[in-house]
Amino acid sequence: MKEKGDRRDFLWKLGIGSGVAALGAQTIASMRSLVPNVSYDAPTTVKVGMPNDFPDGLKFLPDERLFVFRQGNTFHAVSAVCTHLGCTVRAEALPQPETKVVAGQSLRLTHRFLCPCHGSKYAGDGTNVSGPAPKPLTWYHLSVALDDGQLVVDLARPVERDFRLTVA
Amino acid sequence: MEKRSTSPFPGKDRPLLAVVGVALVVSTALFAWSDRKHDWRWYQYDFRRQVTEKLGADRAKAVPRGVQQIWVPELRRADRCITCHQAILFKGFESAENPYRTHPAAILKNHPIEKYGCSSCHGGQGWAIDVAAAHAPAEHWEEPLLGSELGAAYSLVDDKKALLQMNCNVCHRFDRETPGAGAINLAKGLVKEKGCRACHVINGRGGTIGPDLTYVGDKAPEQYEYGRLSGQKSAFAWHVAHFKDPRALVPETVMPNFHFSTKEAQSLAMLALSWRRAPVPADYRPGVPRTDPLTQQEIADEAAMKNGPGAWFVKTGCFVCHSVSALGVRSPAQIGPDLSTAVEDVQARFGRTVDDFLAAPTGTMAVVLSRQIVLTPAEKAVAVSKLREAFAEHQKQKGAEPLDPAAGEKKP
Amino acid sequence: MSTDVPETKAASSGASPEAPGFHFRRLWSWRPVSDRQAGDAVVSNFLLHWFPAKANRVSLSWSYSFWLGTVSAALLLLLVVSGLPLLFLYIPSVERAYASVKDIEYVVTFGSWIRAVHRISAHLMVVAVALHLVRVFLTGAYKNALGGGQKRPWNWVLGVAMLVSTLFLSFTGYLLPWDQLAFWAVTVGTNIASSVPAIGPAIRELLIGGRAIEQPTLIRFYVLHVLFLPGLLGVLFAYHMWRVRKDGGLASADRSALTARRVEQPPSKTKTYTLLGVARGTAPRIRAATLESGEETVNSVSDLTRRAAIVVLGTIALVGILAVFVRSPLEEPANPLITPNPAKAPWYFLWLQEIVTDTTIHLGGITINGAFIGGVVLPGLLITLLIAWPWLDRSPAGATGLWFARTRLRQNLVFLAIVVVILALTVVGTFLRGPYWHFYWPWQPWPELPSKI
Repeated sequence: MKEKGDRRDFLWKLGIGSGVAALGAQTIASMRSLVPNVSYDAPTTVKVGMPNDFPDGLKFLPDERLFVFRQGNTFHAVSAVCTHLGCTVRAEALPQPETKVVAGQSLRLTHRFLCPCHGSKYAGDGTNVSGPAPKPLTWYHLSVALDDGQLVVDLARPVERDFRLTVA
Repeated sequence: MEKRSTSPFPGKDRPLLAVVGVALVVSTALFAWSDRKHDWRWYQYDFRRQVTEKLGADRAKAVPRGVQQIWVPELRRADRCITCHQAILFKGFESAENPYRTHPAAILKNHPIEKYGCSSCHGGQGWAIDVAAAHAPAEHWEEPLLGSELGAAYSLVDDKKALLQMNCNVCHRFDRETPGAGAINLAKGLVKEKGCRACHVINGRGGTIGPDLTYVGDKAPEQYEYGRLSGQKSAFAWHVAHFKDPRALVPETVMPNFHFSTKEAQSLAMLALSWRRAPVPADYRPGVPRTDPLTQQEIADEAAMKNGPGAWFVKTGCFVCHSVSALGVRSPAQIGPDLSTAVEDVQARFGRTVDDFLAAPTGTMAVVLSRQIVLTPAEKAVAVSKLREAFAEHQKQKGAEPLDPAAGEKKP
Repeated sequence: MSTDVPETKAASSGASPEAPGFHFRRLWSWRPVSDRQAGDAVVSNFLLHWFPAKANRVSLSWSYSFWLGTVSAALLLLLVVSGLPLLFLYIPSVERAYASVKDIEYVVTFGSWIRAVHRISAHLMVVAVALHLVRVFLTGAYKNALGGGQKRPWNWVLGVAMLVSTLFLSFTGYLLPWDQLAFWAVTVGTNIASSVPAIGPAIRELLIGGRAIEQPTLIRFYVLHVLFLPGLLGVLFAYHMWRVRKDGGLASADRSALTARRVEQPPSKTKTYTLLGVARGTAPRIRAATLESGEETVNSVSDLTRRAAIVVLGTIALVGILAVFVRSPLEEPANPLITPNPAKAPWYFLWLQEIVTDTTIHLGGITINGAFIGGVVLPGLLITLLIAWPWLDRSPAGATGLWFARTRLRQNLVFLAIVVVILALTVVGTFLRGPYWHFYWPWQPWPELPSKI
């Protein structure tokens, strides 16, 4: 008699228990609806123009907040977003260009960067040299678009400071 | 022992509660299934498989997963077509079956996908991620996919894909001729040739005998008279029939029968339906000037400056602020002093030579020469020599200049 | 005194209760082993505190109330819970509302399911509260049978207020997607409001926030729908439940009191003290009758709670399953230039649409708009009658809590007749009206509606 009661008891618990557990799982899973599947942000890979539109030296792209440097056929891109609190830094030409070895490769520096908000100073390769900035300026990945040959910057892909893009 | 009442309910209710528990489990299972069953998951899996076969596993890994969207804020469209049509920009799938076919590259050169989306050209319901809903017409979405299927259904003569050109013309409306829009071009030619404007207002001007056609594409389908139209009841079909024989559709009309061929009537119908009130941002309209145009005089002047003796100052950009009148360079802004006399002025104002000043500028020039116009030492040397040249020229001109009688008697 | 061997769950550590030492006693339990524990459950648990410790058995009957009130409450709970994610996902701006609903349908994970739960619960809730009202009327449960502070007529008025709130919640809710249905339904609804003489246009302007249905309208309806009306409904609901408790439970419980047999309590053994010592015998007897005996009542925990759980969880399961298969429609984006043909209100307002069609009166030179008669006067009259009826009802107390009591037969029949008429009008509006609101039998095809291409 007791055994039958136990079994019935167990089945009852299983039925309602799993039901309530299922309901709980469903409620929590519904929270997945708040994780966006598509983005309404501006795309992070941006075409910034043909390589020949970039002069030797630097070109500032205000929409992407980016400095694109060119030396002959070699390009690299440094972010203009100050690592302190996000203001856009300004480039200032050095009185004399310098050459520095950065991440194992030599780099010709023609500018340094100054932040107007709290006075952070960066060297031409992005190293933070004074002021409240905690980290160097980020370098971003550059590539050439397959379809029309424009330079493409990937603002979601930081790279090391030995990155160079050489355009044919 | 504490009192416990008896009750008949547990026996009846517990099985019922167990059934409800089972129903809840079933509900959860169905709920989970409802998210997994979408078409696009299969299409994405299939495409990855094809990419692996054709281009290798590495490329297949780079193919994005999940719902993909192109958001064009200017046109307020979010198109999710690329969730299934993942091969759009993939080189190598040009001859595959849809949805795995590469998009023809030529049109994308000046209509990049990031700027136009898909549905602004192709129609359909860009919001949707299921095939039936996306390739409208679907329930409550009347903008169909303007593809070859619809074209075949209307027995379009020659190009079954021509319906797409209706959407081209929404932006290219004021073009005389649009490359690639053959049907529309044909229709526009006919409008000119047959003189439709004699009776109809088109694009804001014309006659008032017939109705204003400027936005006839917006006219609700229910507002047409279908009494005498055989076959498919749609605004498009009405227009085709009307172009072919106006009096057959509207007995009291005075519109003459132009004896258009089927191809012409269909092209004209496409043109008419493309005349919609669609707010097109100026960026998207072809032929809109992107800047205030220069006058002929200004163009001539600029050409002269670029090729004249002061060309160096134009090339470097010094002329943006400084005129160099001695060399015929006129600055549009004239913020800084005329450089013809720079050799003298710099000495007078700063007590330094021009060479010295350019090497270590002060004030505004310091800012300009460090940020905007960065000159190498060699270039600075050229600048100095040009300035001396300008000054010499200035002296010469001053010397040779006839006295202005109104300026007073200053005899050399 | 009934004794039953308690199923050994709590309590027993093996020792008998008489042994000395500390005996662990569970304070309360979902499956109480004694009446005391059942009472403790109700007293110590926040979620259960609004139940009585003991419930009248008749109240639990399926066939008396069909538990429609509980179903309505469960649906309200579902609406709130499904509405919360929608609050994050929907954008109440005329430029973006439609797109945000399309997003919910297509790209949000489980979005179309959540939206379907919300919509199905809304439709079912209209059905449930209407049936609940019908049930309460037909059982005369708005009457006070016992007096003594009962206020069932007032509770009935609260219920009617909740019905109207539910309908308004639906009305404000389906404007939000800003599709054709939304736009034209609100056009019609606010025009009905404006047909009231003198103050009508002012009411309409207040509702719309202007003259045309635009962004101000959307934001007003949105705030009404997510804040004020649910708040109002919540307050009314709490008041309604409190009133049910105060009135002694369901009206069928009143019947138990009316028909209670006075059961004499057996004499209880006591001790009493005389001047010279303890005398054993019987104390002065109190002849008492009680309703609290085991035949009339059961412990709320777990009999009442179990049934409530069946109803609530069952409703949730049903709606959850339906939501997987029943798609929520979304019509074309709102277009002030084109009225859809036919332009039909949702089914629960179709009877209104029908009478608004048929009640434009021409009296001599005066024409009274059907909007006023059919949209304001008739429904207003019905609601006033509903509210006033408990005080107009002259049937005896014995008719309370009884299905189809003979003394209430006539009023029940008239009420049912009105319900049937409303249902018939709804059926006509749903199935027999086509484009241009012409009458079509079900076998008659509707004219083909033209498309653009």
